[in-house]
Amino acid sequence: MLKVTLRGLLAHKVRLIATAVAVVLGVAFMAGTQVLTSSISASFDKVFSDVYASIDVVVRSTNEIETPFGSQRTRISDSVLPAVEAVPGVDAAEGQVVGQIRVLGRDNKPLVRTQGPPNFALNWLTEPALNGWTIVEGAPPAGPDQIVLDVKTSKDGDFAIGDTVSVAVSTGVNTYRLVGIARFGRLDTWGGAPAALFDTTTAQALVGEPGTYNWVSIAGDDGISQTELTDRVAAAIPADTEAITGKDFTAESQDAFQKIIGIFNTFLLVFALIALFVGSFIIYNTFSIIVAQRTRELALLRALGASRRQVLGSVMLEAFTVGVIASAVGVGLGVLLAIGLNALMQSIGFSGPDTPIVVPASAVISSVLVGTLITLASAVLPARRAATIAPMAAMRDVATESRGLSRRRIIGGAVLLVGGAASLWFGLFGNSDSGLQLVGLGAFLVFMGFTVIGPVIAPPMARALGAPLARFGGVSGRIARENAMRNPRRTATTASALMIGVGLVGFIAVTAQSLKVSTVEAINTSVTAQYVVNTDGFGSTALPISLVGQITALPEVSTAAGISATFANIEGDARVIIATQPAAFEKVVAITDVEGSFAGLDTNGIAIPKTMAKDKKLAVGDSLAVNFLHGGPSSLVIESIYDTKFPIQGPGYFISDELFAQVTPPDQQTVQSIYIDLTDTSAAGVAEARVPLDAVTSAVPGAELQSLKEFTKAQTDQANQFLVIVYVLLALALVIAIVGVINTLLLSVYERTRELGLLRAVGMSRRQVRSSIRTESVIISLIGTLIGLGIGLVFGWALVKALYDQGITSFAVPWVQLIVIVALAALAGIGAALYPAWRASRLDVLQAISSE
Amino acid sequence: MTATQNPPPPPATSTAAARTVDACKVYGAGDTLVNALDHVTVEFERGRFTAIMGPSGSGKSTLMHCVAGLDTLTSGQIFIGDTDLSSLNERQLTRLRRDTIGFVFQSFNLVPTLTAAENITLPMDLAGTAPDAAWIDTIVSTVNLGDRLKHRPSELSGGQQQRVAVARALASRPSIVFADEPTGNLDSRSGGEILQFMRTAVDRFQQSIVMVTHDPVAASYADRVVFLADGRIVDEILQPTAEAVLERQLRFGN
Ligand SMILES: Nc1ncnc2c1ncn2[C@@H]1O[C@H](COP(=O)(O)OP(=O)(O)OP(=O)(O)O)[C@@H](O)[C@H]1O
Ligand SMILES: [Mg+2]
Repeated sequence: MLKVTLRGLLAHKVRLIATAVAVVLGVAFMAGTQVLTSSISASFDKVFSDVYASIDVVVRSTNEIETPFGSQRTRISDSVLPAVEAVPGVDAAEGQVVGQIRVLGRDNKPLVRTQGPPNFALNWLTEPALNGWTIVEGAPPAGPDQIVLDVKTSKDGDFAIGDTVSVAVSTGVNTYRLVGIARFGRLDTWGGAPAALFDTTTAQALVGEPGTYNWVSIAGDDGISQTELTDRVAAAIPADTEAITGKDFTAESQDAFQKIIGIFNTFLLVFALIALFVGSFIIYNTFSIIVAQRTRELALLRALGASRRQVLGSVMLEAFTVGVIASAVGVGLGVLLAIGLNALMQSIGFSGPDTPIVVPASAVISSVLVGTLITLASAVLPARRAATIAPMAAMRDVATESRGLSRRRIIGGAVLLVGGAASLWFGLFGNSDSGLQLVGLGAFLVFMGFTVIGPVIAPPMARALGAPLARFGGVSGRIARENAMRNPRRTATTASALMIGVGLVGFIAVTAQSLKVSTVEAINTSVTAQYVVNTDGFGSTALPISLVGQITALPEVSTAAGISATFANIEGDARVIIATQPAAFEKVVAITDVEGSFAGLDTNGIAIPKTMAKDKKLAVGDSLAVNFLHGGPSSLVIESIYDTKFPIQGPGYFISDELFAQVTPPDQQTVQSIYIDLTDTSAAGVAEARVPLDAVTSAVPGAELQSLKEFTKAQTDQANQFLVIVYVLLALALVIAIVGVINTLLLSVYERTRELGLLRAVGMSRRQVRSSIRTESVIISLIGTLIGLGIGLVFGWALVKALYDQGITSFAVPWVQLIVIVALAALAGIGAALYPAWRASRLDVLQAISSE
Repeated sequence: MTATQNPPPPPATSTAAARTVDACKVYGAGDTLVNALDHVTVEFERGRFTAIMGPSGSGKSTLMHCVAGLDTLTSGQIFIGDTDLSSLNERQLTRLRRDTIGFVFQSFNLVPTLTAAENITLPMDLAGTAPDAAWIDTIVSTVNLGDRLKHRPSELSGGQQQRVAVARALASRPSIVFADEPTGNLDSRSGGEILQFMRTAVDRFQQSIVMVTHDPVAASYADRVVFLADGRIVDEILQPTAEAVLERQLRFGN
């Protein structure tokens, strides 16, 4: 029996190519993702251990707050230094100042894009035991006007020793003289991040506070362990500080980064699994067709005494062999993919320095396992069908597809669809903790439901879609339509693979469009300002708060209000808090008071949105426990419950700018955006105001003046960028689906050799043969696309309904996009048919009609 | 039963519906070389029914495929009417098969996805020309298919399928019809019906037909039988009877 299997494998090797391709692509994606992310995280692990290599102990503040960007801590006073230095075993101790800046290029624009790693400012450490930097040219910084740049920044900015370098921070733009160019260990940057170095006092003035450090780094004498030294230091430092080992300190940074990479990894793996799921349809289809085509041979084996189990085993062994080989090839391809992507990411500066490729065993094992299991699982049904072939079938003519199953199919499909819809519904609206998993399960069940029901609905769809083609395409159109209908299961499975990819694209397109329309609507109905000043910076690199005053002072401006963001613990949870000038803000953004007065917010007060008040049963006069990182009140009174359509970052807590000034250090006192209402709001007035506004804002690096329309567009453009990434990732699933269409057509052409020969003999031209295969392909593709889009629309609608409270208030369908998708599907159908059609048209007529 | 009311042979001036001149077809090379056709020169007269007979492997199918433009010769010439097939390219050959030649094969004659009626008009549909409705009606009634036209091939018996095939072969009024063992898979009664239709087409509509067969009874429907052996024309009988053909076969040890 083994011999039969192996012979079978060899005989069908061409037919198994599509199966292999589907597995290879999915597995490559999966393995590639894991290899890439582990390589990146390994490289960053190395970066952090390099950066902190010389540190044995760190002393830092215990006062911290968790934010989405990692935990933030207060600075510590330089008064701890003498106490630390006195600890026996301490070789050297020095305070580290770290902050974010923007080094400006010669064109006065920030050299570093905000998407990449941040641009750091550091103080130059004078202790050789602690300083990882070495000067390659010039001298270390000394004095308030001196700056040292890393090799990369000096190259990027084309700076030479003696040049003037401008640095933008929240308080304005400072200029320095470049006195040195430095390298960190072997690296041109501070472990991937560009950095500028100043002497300690200058660094404190620029990105910190005089007399404070972010932390104190300590190097121990030889022979003393990190833990031993840490214990000794801990005993010598004040109560609101702590000592941790250099190892732990490094691990914390590594962990924070791993978390981000982990999310990225999961995100990509989801798409790899989608690709494999789509691939499983191709595998299923190929094995089904092969089994159908081998009916006589298998029946003969059965007649000769092969048991059912042997037949089943034979098909499964075939699947197993293909699965293992394809998975192994996939892993290899995945590693190559990771190498390519890594090089690409490095070249656009999005990755650590010279990342070596790490291939974790877990990635190899999991990828091969998943690839093989999916192949086996997809082959189970065809194998069972093969095993149930009666020995009698050997005597009968070529088997036609059984049709009597439609009733069971409808019931089974309906059960899956109802289950899927229910799961989706509970996931979206059920307040369940595992909402996301339920939604995923629901989507899976709905797709499976349509797959089961597919053979029932595919023929009528093919008839309807093919009607115009049959009318205008003559006989070849009619034959194409009939061919698309003759094997409903095959057509449906092929279409299903496409349905999944298109369904997800449609779903995302609809959701994104709804989000966009809702955002535009929210901005249009709530923002009464005519201009907005925006920035891509955050925190210390955002806009100086003084810009609000400068703009308000312009004669053209009636009101200007800035929005700032900070983090605080509210009732124990870390939350984003927005600060603004309440009275002014009310004039640029439509806010209605539900209770209390938004404009009257004072330094003890906080405003919350209507929905939160309702959900948490809060009323004006209630107080909330708060904890700001840098001190300030420990509780705030709800002074306003407001309602607005304005899309607010975070949960919607508002405080006044006066309170904001009390609870944030000077370098963090920045605004994210400024809304400007003009005195003359006529079209001409708005146009004229641009010049003076531009004059003020263009002096601030990173500030961007936008008309309301430009602002709206910028908001939606961000969503578009994300969309493009998602579409690119889904493209693989679509490519696999197209491979499936090619495969089905090829196998069908093979199966219809005689028929094609006959058609050619009685006068069908090659062109007509090609056109007929193409038409069949387009019909199959359109079936998948239309069902997919239908599912996508319904999913999108459900999600939009579920997110109503999150501000997606309108359900919008991007008709143009959807029509483009349908057109692309038709084109893809034509493309998929190219090779099979060519094969069909080249068929040797004589051989076709004389072959049995 | 023998055909006794054959019309007299057409006048000698009538040009052939198809003819070959020194046709050779060689398969393989060296040890495996086969002369499937060995300098065959033969004419198939217009408006006549010609049968080709000969032992298995004698080259009957090869001759027919070459004359019908499905295969090409190694050397020699083939004419359909006045057209030299070797001067035609693939596209012209396809058009020739579609418009001027009719086919009936031993089996698998019909496109399974099309109805009987659609199969009959297939060549015209492929050409994009409107079938002559009256003519189709005549054929359909001749082959006795009236109530079966809307059925698919899988719903027809073998005999009915062959009748549809004959109807298709005649539907476009081809100048010549080729049939390769059209009754080979049928019982003698269905086979007889098919042969009678072909005979009728020749008698009533002056259709030219060339048929390959192994069956002396089938051959007796023809006006003339050509005998092939080892790729060569070795004999022929005019106005054959089944007995004459059988006797000829026995004599040559078929
Ligand atoms: N494609 C081919 N390659 C090689 N030899 C071939 C090929 N086709 C036919 N032949 C050989 O050519 C010779 C004639 O074959 P052909 O099919 O014409 O015989 P036939 O008279 O139709 O026989 P039958 O009565 O069995 O159908 C045979 O010897 C056959 O083996
Ligand atoms: Mg033959």
